[in-house]
Amino acid sequence: MKSKTRLPWIIILLVSAGAMILPVKDQAAAHETPSQPRLYGLVEDEQFQPVKDVNVKLVDALDARVLSTNRTLEDGRYALALPDRIPAELEILLERPHFKDRVIPLEKDAVAALQNGSSVTLPTFVLKREITASLWIAGSVFIVVLILIATGFLHNTLAAFAGASFLLMVSYLGSPFLPQLEIFSFSQATSYIDWNVIFLIMGMMIVIAVIENTGIFHWLAFHAYRISNGKMWILLSVLMLITGISSAFLDNVTTMLLMTPITVQIALALGISPLVLLIPEVFASNVIGVSTLIGTPTNILIGSFGNITFNDFLINLTPGILAAFIGLVIYSWFSFRTELESENAVSPTLLEKLAERGKITDPENLKKSGWIGAGMLLLFIFGERIHLLPAVTALIGAAALLLWIRPDIEEMIGAVDWTTLVFFMSLFIVVGAIQEVGLISIIASQIGKLIGDNLILAMIVVTWFSAALSMIVANIPFTAAMLPVIGYLTTIVPGADSKVLFYCLSVGAALGGNGSLIGASANMITAGIAERAGYKITYKYFMKKGLPALALTISISLIWLFIRF
Amino acid sequence: MSGILCAIRGGPSSQPTILKAIELAQDTDQVIYFLYVVNLDFLTHTSSSKTNHISKEIEEMGEFILLSAQEQAEKGGVKAQGIIRDGKVLEEILSCCEEYKPAYLILGRPQEDMENNLLTLERLGSFADQIKEVCQAEVVFTEK
Repeated sequence: MKSKTRLPWIIILLVSAGAMILPVKDQAAAHETPSQPRLYGLVEDEQFQPVKDVNVKLVDALDARVLSTNRTLEDGRYALALPDRIPAELEILLERPHFKDRVIPLEKDAVAALQNGSSVTLPTFVLKREITASLWIAGSVFIVVLILIATGFLHNTLAAFAGASFLLMVSYLGSPFLPQLEIFSFSQATSYIDWNVIFLIMGMMIVIAVIENTGIFHWLAFHAYRISNGKMWILLSVLMLITGISSAFLDNVTTMLLMTPITVQIALALGISPLVLLIPEVFASNVIGVSTLIGTPTNILIGSFGNITFNDFLINLTPGILAAFIGLVIYSWFSFRTELESENAVSPTLLEKLAERGKITDPENLKKSGWIGAGMLLLFIFGERIHLLPAVTALIGAAALLLWIRPDIEEMIGAVDWTTLVFFMSLFIVVGAIQEVGLISIIASQIGKLIGDNLILAMIVVTWFSAALSMIVANIPFTAAMLPVIGYLTTIVPGADSKVLFYCLSVGAALGGNGSLIGASANMITAGIAERAGYKITYKYFMKKGLPALALTISISLIWLFIRF
Repeated sequence: MSGILCAIRGGPSSQPTILKAIELAQDTDQVIYFLYVVNLDFLTHTSSSKTNHISKEIEEMGEFILLSAQEQAEKGGVKAQGIIRDGKVLEEILSCCEEYKPAYLILGRPQEDMENNLLTLERLGSFADQIKEVCQAEVVFTEK
């Protein structure tokens, strides 16, 4: 099949995928106007979170006959159809794996109302968690996956994929022998995959693949050198700004993959160590990346889980992040001033080469991707008014760009980092498992007890705890695991319903990456390329420069969040 | 057989190798072939879809490193060329030795405290023997 004949199929695929992730009508609404009397209710866990998939049975209390059965929906609600003849004594039986079964006798008034043909709404029932072997297995698998990723023993995707497969294997092959080993069914496991996140990342990858081939980064970097006119503080600030702004719209790894080689070239031409430009750049990438919904995978996760829009991030987080960035620029100048201000041997030959390369290589595609990018930005900003999900905007943008520039479609599809997408899908399942068995719930409950009802304390704890852990564990799985915890804290801590704790998680998880070389993938990529140029960034050196940057930027961001909320 | 092959990575750690090559070129009046190898092993734990694009970027960065070394050689009054290859460093050094038949190969002596050295002290000797076998080049080691 030729590329042109494949294109319509790809468009259909993308549009279908978009349709799949459009907000679905609340299924519970279907029960709002019943034609027959029913028994309604809600099931929650001990943290007052709705419990889905509870098997709810209406039982005749005298002969234990099941009269009606149904399952709770996503919002924990259920509706039971009633038999023609209502017995004198009724019970509700609630059953769900990882929870203790519960039998609740119905009050006489409720039974009488049902006998009179009326619908009845029962009080909310609370199910208690049951700690089983599956909790230890799911928890252990999650920790092992984190360790495998942190140590680099296995590729991220392989670690998460193996973890997800192992959990399903235990569920299906172990539970027939020992029922306590059941973690979740395949459909329950896949229900934890957030398709909004997957398609948003995929759409953005296609757009980025077009932009990165236009030479825009070389052009920007060269002009940063020209604008600086020999003043190193201007060069440093402009390069940090370019990196930061790019990171706000592209993922940080891509930004640093593109910025690092050209920065090394500028540094070599100016006769300075590339590290004095690269390290501030990667700091800027980690900081400003967090200012928009699409800037980091962690923000995409947070936005989707917490229902936080592109505009919410712009209004509630971006000003604080910009303030932190200004602080970071000042810190970077003072931190690297000696190296930047030293007398350097500028190479005219290399500068000439730099000028030669600092050109847009594909102006036509740059113009088109600029228009599409502007359109996408408008949709991200104004789309929320029509409940347009960011993933749909990304898919529309990607499809429009593909249609307009008609690239080699194989090349474009190859530019999608499928391993990352599989990583996310597998990770959602691994994190879903610890949610399913109640581990997250237990952790959330303990953190909730520690924090109490003090919002300021909650903000401080969430931000610094996230930052500290992001220095040592990969921030994507960490953030994915923390989301339900933050969701719980948001419901119990007074004032947290503004979703401020989600912003604290965003700040901590992303800016924490500046504290250590392994704290962010962008750091590792930058170090890898710098080493290829003969400039090694050691763990110790990065931490020496990074920890003060982390402390400064997180403090400024946190102050902003205190002011804002 | 003529010429001096000098594999460089760039940065301060390549300076002794570059200086040794220039010194030898001045003594023997031979051309220097600076070699830079694009190696993307560090990307194995991140996005494989970026490999093609980043390979081009690192190649351009390598050209800069080579130009910088060539400029240094010219200042020392010797002629130098740059060679860029993609692949494993040791394999590419061997391949260049076969292709260019240099009279000398300059190798940096590994520092014991460096984690990612291509050659350990033990392997250095056997690699030098392999080079002699392939192209009869004399292997010259730089000081630490």
